[in-house]
Amino acid sequence: MSESLHFAEHRLQEIALLVMACVYAIRIFWLTRYKAGRDRQMPTGPPDTNKKKGILYSLMNIMMPWAMESTRKHFIIYSQFIVFHLGVTFAILMSFLIPYAPDTMKPVWVIYLFQVVIGAAFIVGIFRIIRRFSKKVMRAISTPDDYFSLILITTWFLTAFLSVPNKPENGETIMIIYFWLTAFFLIYVPFSKISHYLYYPFTRYYLGRTMGHRGVFPLRGSRQSK
Amino acid sequence: MKERSYKANLLIEGMAKKLNRQMVGSLVACVHCGMCTESCHYVLTNPDDPTYAPAYKADRMRKIFKRHYDWTGRVFPWWVGAKSIFTDEELEELKDISFGKCTNCRRCSINCPMGVDFATFNRALRGLLVSVGVMPEGVAVVSKDQWEIGNQMGVLPEDYIDTLDWLSEEMQSEFDDETAVIPIDKLDADIVYTINPREVKYDPRTISDAAKIFHIAGENWTMPSEGWDMTNFGLFSGDDALGGAVAIRVYEKLKELRGKKLVISECGHGYRSTRCEGPNWAGIDQDFIMESSVFTMLNYIKEGKIKVDKSKNTGSYTFHDSCNNARSCGLYEEPRELLNLVVSDFREMYPNRNENYCCTGGGGAMSMSEYTSRRLKSAKVKADQLKATGANIVVTSCHNCVDGLTDLIKHYDLKMEVKQLVNLVANALVIPEKITAPEVPTVEIKKAPLAGRKILVVDDEPDILVFFKSVLEDNGAIVFEASNGEDAISIALKEKPELMTLDINMPGKDGGWVFENLRRNPEIASTKVCIITGRPELRRLIYDRPVPMPEGYLDKPVDPDTLLFNVRKILEVG
Repeated sequence: MSESLHFAEHRLQEIALLVMACVYAIRIFWLTRYKAGRDRQMPTGPPDTNKKKGILYSLMNIMMPWAMESTRKHFIIYSQFIVFHLGVTFAILMSFLIPYAPDTMKPVWVIYLFQVVIGAAFIVGIFRIIRRFSKKVMRAISTPDDYFSLILITTWFLTAFLSVPNKPENGETIMIIYFWLTAFFLIYVPFSKISHYLYYPFTRYYLGRTMGHRGVFPLRGSRQSK
Repeated sequence: MKERSYKANLLIEGMAKKLNRQMVGSLVACVHCGMCTESCHYVLTNPDDPTYAPAYKADRMRKIFKRHYDWTGRVFPWWVGAKSIFTDEELEELKDISFGKCTNCRRCSINCPMGVDFATFNRALRGLLVSVGVMPEGVAVVSKDQWEIGNQMGVLPEDYIDTLDWLSEEMQSEFDDETAVIPIDKLDADIVYTINPREVKYDPRTISDAAKIFHIAGENWTMPSEGWDMTNFGLFSGDDALGGAVAIRVYEKLKELRGKKLVISECGHGYRSTRCEGPNWAGIDQDFIMESSVFTMLNYIKEGKIKVDKSKNTGSYTFHDSCNNARSCGLYEEPRELLNLVVSDFREMYPNRNENYCCTGGGGAMSMSEYTSRRLKSAKVKADQLKATGANIVVTSCHNCVDGLTDLIKHYDLKMEVKQLVNLVANALVIPEKITAPEVPTVEIKKAPLAGRKILVVDDEPDILVFFKSVLEDNGAIVFEASNGEDAISIALKEKPELMTLDINMPGKDGGWVFENLRRNPEIASTKVCIITGRPELRRLIYDRPVPMPEGYLDKPVDPDTLLFNVRKILEVG
């Protein structure tokens, strides 16, 4: 392994992670500086609902595609979302496994598993790019960061897919690109929309708390047709 | 550097006071995935216009927030879509989006995978615009009425008390029972009943229906002489100060009367404002019981306090969930339970409950006439939903929805009727032997209650003239017509009508001119006037004049029953 690859796999990742952690901490501090609104009224809605149930339901909502009309009606987009985020998880996991537990990446089935998931995520990424560029409403709501973040992650998927076998002896270039992109990704995340997962627990927690207190969550009874 | 207008500056500074953790979370968490797009009825009826998409609308406020309060937007504004505002024209654009392209129905909020509650911060944006005086005229008029007069329709205290007295007399006569009255300001009542001013102005039958139910249930109840308006325009205008002041007015009256429970008549935004948001706006913890009248009526039936005969309510019924009830207060099962107890043919509407579509008149839309065509276009979604039920009566527990639905039913020619649960429960009441309501005494009154009464109808629209004339003549009135201001005055001088129905917006001399000339001329000054207008924001042309107020006021469209009911009320015809 060359020094360049070693640096990219270790020191570069550590610096990137440190920067990300610091910026994240600042972001959370910034968000929590704002006072949380209270629900001073007595609870409403069905007696079997409450704040706790609302919070739990709200946080788990993303795993219940039947719960929201938007995911129920657009199950393909929802499936793409699952595949895309699984791809992110696997590609990040790989950035730790290759430097710190390379043996885990050796079995052929592991390589196939990672390549299938990350490869599928790459294809979804391409679909998402096309959707964002081709649909009028998506263009209207997109910022340069939206386009860039999507292209960045999709490209990163491609380099991750090619790096899965972890064979520097066959050429290090793609692995070096993958690790540099990972580092860039880590540093860029807090400044971009990709940091949404940092806010997700906050938004869903508070929405669930309010809606649970009012008996709106768990959503129930509604169906699109008979 | 670009100069910023005074108002734009104020709005940006004011934003800091509106932000809380929930709102900031919603402002930073959007990933622009577009999943909310089709949840909005405006989008469904304007599929080619992306400016209706909830994410697009939300970004109008998000851009300003990012530019001034989020450092990513301060450092890389273009990159993250941050943008400030500078001119008053930009504020007008914000007004158009915030008030004219969203009813704050919260349907997108429950469909956002990230939990972004757009409706909440759109309300905040409305509040900011209102704070710098940028709002639809209707919002300004109604807010002013609620601040100054204490209710959002400008009902004067004497008119309110007169109406209750009149309804009491009717009830006493109907039951032939001196005790069948609407108690006012009774101390230590178990229930203090609060209503929507629309009930006083346009639909007093809902008050008398509720009164009958309370009477037959043997309830110890009262209505307050003040603080009776449980609606709250602060919800629509985003003005938390107004919201808090109105809520406190209601809560304090309950305490002053030492009432045990506050019952809120069927009104979606009133229920949400008083029951769910009021304590938060007012900054006080709720320490007494409040409930919707839907619960009260349901419990009466369950406890056997009243008996109902569902065969009295013929026809097929569907139920429309008010957004404020279902998506903001969890009130959706009880109305169905109650409805099923009072009708035989109930047909569910799809989607329903939390996922139901807005009546399209919510969020104060009914008071913003400049957006009427946009509202009615978006109502196609609701019209299709209603039509698909095959029902001929739609029931709703919300006064705003009654107006919104009535308007769209007329617009899309659906041949449906709108009712509230209180109407159906009252109609289905099995009246115990001792207080059996007698038959209406005379055939003459039933047939021609306005016999011989002279009424002058003033309106520039020929269709309206024909419609009002036929309704009033069918009930025995002698009707004169005028299609402009000058004719109105000359006919009034010649015929001396007892009542004039007066349109405000007419070419040439408008209703304001007619009204002032009428009031200032001793020969005809005592003519009673009922303003009937499709432009409620022009009410100031009447009410700002230094002459005695008109005796009645109606918003167009008006159905025959409402017209007749109000005319009879003004002319004091039983």
